[in-house]
Amino acid sequence: MTRFLRTPDFTLAAIALLGFVVLAFATSGNLLSAGTLGAFFRFLAVPVVIGLSQMVVLAVGQMNLSVGALTGFCAMAAAWLMLEAGLPAPVAVLAALALGLGVGLINGLLVVFTRINGFIVTLATMTIIQGLRYGVNGPDTFQGYSAGLRAFGRASVLGLPVVFLCALVVAGLVGWFFARTVAGRRLLASGGSPFAARLSGISNDRSLVVAHGLSGLLAGVAAVITVAASGSVNASIGDDLLLPSFAAPIIGGVALAGGMVSVTGTVLAAFLVRLVDVMQAQFGINPRWIDLIIGAVVLGAVLLGTVRQRLHDRGSTA
Amino acid sequence: MLVAENLIKTFPGVRALDGATLRVSPGSVHALLGENGAGKSTLVKVLTGVYQPDGGRITLDGDDLRLTGPMDAQAAGIGVVHQERNLIPAFSVAENISLHHLPHRRGVVDRARMRAEARRCLGLLEVELDPDAPVATLSPAQGQLVEIAKALSLENRVLLLDEPTASLTGDEADHLYAVVRRLRDSGRAVVLVSHKLEEVFAVADTLTVLRDGRSVASGEALAGFSQSRVVDLMVGRAYEQVELARREVNAEAVPALRLADVATAHGHRDVSLEVRPGEILGLYGLVGAGRSELAKAILGLGRITAGTVEVHGKPARIATVGEALRRYRLGYVTEDRKDEGLFLDQQVTRNIAVTVWRRLARLGLVPDRAERRLALDFVGKLDIRISTPRQVAGQLSGGNQQKVSLAKWLAADCDILIVDEPTVGIDVRTKAAFHELIAGLAADGLALLLISSDLPETVALADRIAVMSDLRIAGVLDNDHDYPRMSRQIIRMIHAETHAEAA
Repeated sequence: MTRFLRTPDFTLAAIALLGFVVLAFATSGNLLSAGTLGAFFRFLAVPVVIGLSQMVVLAVGQMNLSVGALTGFCAMAAAWLMLEAGLPAPVAVLAALALGLGVGLINGLLVVFTRINGFIVTLATMTIIQGLRYGVNGPDTFQGYSAGLRAFGRASVLGLPVVFLCALVVAGLVGWFFARTVAGRRLLASGGSPFAARLSGISNDRSLVVAHGLSGLLAGVAAVITVAASGSVNASIGDDLLLPSFAAPIIGGVALAGGMVSVTGTVLAAFLVRLVDVMQAQFGINPRWIDLIIGAVVLGAVLLGTVRQRLHDRGSTA
Repeated sequence: MLVAENLIKTFPGVRALDGATLRVSPGSVHALLGENGAGKSTLVKVLTGVYQPDGGRITLDGDDLRLTGPMDAQAAGIGVVHQERNLIPAFSVAENISLHHLPHRRGVVDRARMRAEARRCLGLLEVELDPDAPVATLSPAQGQLVEIAKALSLENRVLLLDEPTASLTGDEADHLYAVVRRLRDSGRAVVLVSHKLEEVFAVADTLTVLRDGRSVASGEALAGFSQSRVVDLMVGRAYEQVELARREVNAEAVPALRLADVATAHGHRDVSLEVRPGEILGLYGLVGAGRSELAKAILGLGRITAGTVEVHGKPARIATVGEALRRYRLGYVTEDRKDEGLFLDQQVTRNIAVTVWRRLARLGLVPDRAERRLALDFVGKLDIRISTPRQVAGQLSGGNQQKVSLAKWLAADCDILIVDEPTVGIDVRTKAAFHELIAGLAADGLALLLISSDLPETVALADRIAVMSDLRIAGVLDNDHDYPRMSRQIIRMIHAETHAEAA
């Protein structure tokens, strides 16, 4: 038990809870009203999934700059399929997921075959996807697609939005993937010590492709949630997701060097970032400051992690 | 029966294997012996698919074996414990042991089976370890045992152990050898690489001795050899005697660098050394004996926990390399010139002048002309072959790169130099020129600590030779430059662990 109290996850959970309670009091309970609370969790779903999408590639020591643009692209594609191609919502949803997975796999294959750093590869694909995203419908907005999908986006169970519960289920699956499946363990082995992994017969190249593919698939999931929850999509969707995608795993204690993931940490950190967002809305803070605050929180979290690591190292050598 | 014939493996500048042959029969323990750089680890890596040979063939029971990667070796039933640790720190003991073939049901890891497998393998070694403990929390010796357990986990027909007892206690080593005997009795072939001849003679049946990448004994029964015969075989290394001008070292002079009973955070204990002006002190030892780590600790890159360091008779507390350079005029020519020694994509002149930018700078700017004049001065003195002054360091040959790496410390007026493996990966002719260069520096009055794993080089250059073994100084010998005698003494010191007889 005392061991758990010292984990970074516990620290994060405590901060998140404290922040939530303080904000609830500061807004004179307004935060706890059904509407506000619902919105709070509904718009937490995408940051959680997008954070996981980034976390998956961080696990193998890579970065994926295209997650935000890809989310927007998949969302536009899904809306187009429903409105312009007249396909039913389930087909459009599956197509969006497949598109995300496909682009992710392309990212991975490019990294493996060109040996160009993933940062550069995904910077390039991000730019390409941004261009394609506008190609779907120009600057216009898609709206009035499948009523069923939109109802799904607004539905709640026990006061919690269904889309948020979906995000939690996805988080659970990702956690289970890394903790229990052979493929997940191989991914972490490649990320932690590529050479040792190779000597154990693990293909690091395959790990890279799997990680990027999974990252793309999760971006597709984020796109579906966006389409369902927001009721309308346009080509600017996803532009503001890149920083949050890094913020969640980094604040959550995921190692940038790879080999270590924390799903709980990532979810809790997304929650924290969402609190900052709500705070801004509740107190009418100029939205210009929001990136500054989130940026400062990211920096602070990384510094805290480094300090904690140093203290730990000193403690164990002494 | 595993047979490797006439294996050849060349790395840039070095032929690591030059016709190595190895024959191992099932149901036997085979010792693979040789001096530093003889090619033992390279041979192990070729046999396990880590390196692909440039020539020769490998057969298992008469069938040709083509190993294009570690997975092929595994599939053929060849298991290995490499000299370096290859565990995933964040993973549990059980998971590391089974990493080759995680037991699973439809892609989901079967932890119960994984734990049972770990218990079985650790049981073979008679080791008590929690299968769920993360490897990061284990001691180095425990990590070594996990690696061995991992190799045992696969039902291998051939098992290669590269220095398996390097970090084990006597009891742990005994357990390991008991397991090795059991494996042999069950019909498996075990190849054992070890520098501890006592252990080798206690457990092995046959042996191969490598020298300069060639087998000088191959597959013979160990019973026909004495320890001193094996040492003789290891020593008789091809060696071009370089005639170096003899220097006189003033034995009365105050040591330029003196360590007294130094201990470090890395684990060194009771290290005492002296280097006088004009003297080359060779620091010889096996790879991994802790020589570079000692050098780095002296320079403030590692922590010194006890003892004293003196420079020119005065106690020195060196916290950073910059301080070593500016205050004590102590330089370190690294063994890893590509990563630690040079800025490969920068001009040669810049690489040389980097240590003196502060001195050259006018109002914070480094005048190009002053930099070039200073650098070209050393290019001339050290005979560094460049086509234009603007050439970048990465385009030079290994030998010239090493000269650049040395020149930057000379530019800074260092009078104490620690030179770490100066001729690794350098061809024979350039090597001889480099030896003359180093001897010349000593003749000019510099104090040099020469870290080398190359015994002929150490005996040719050093005035005295300190032998380091397992983070301690095993002894310091006066060098009389009689190579066969010196090398025998040194190798006995390390391999047979007997004390040096007075010459």
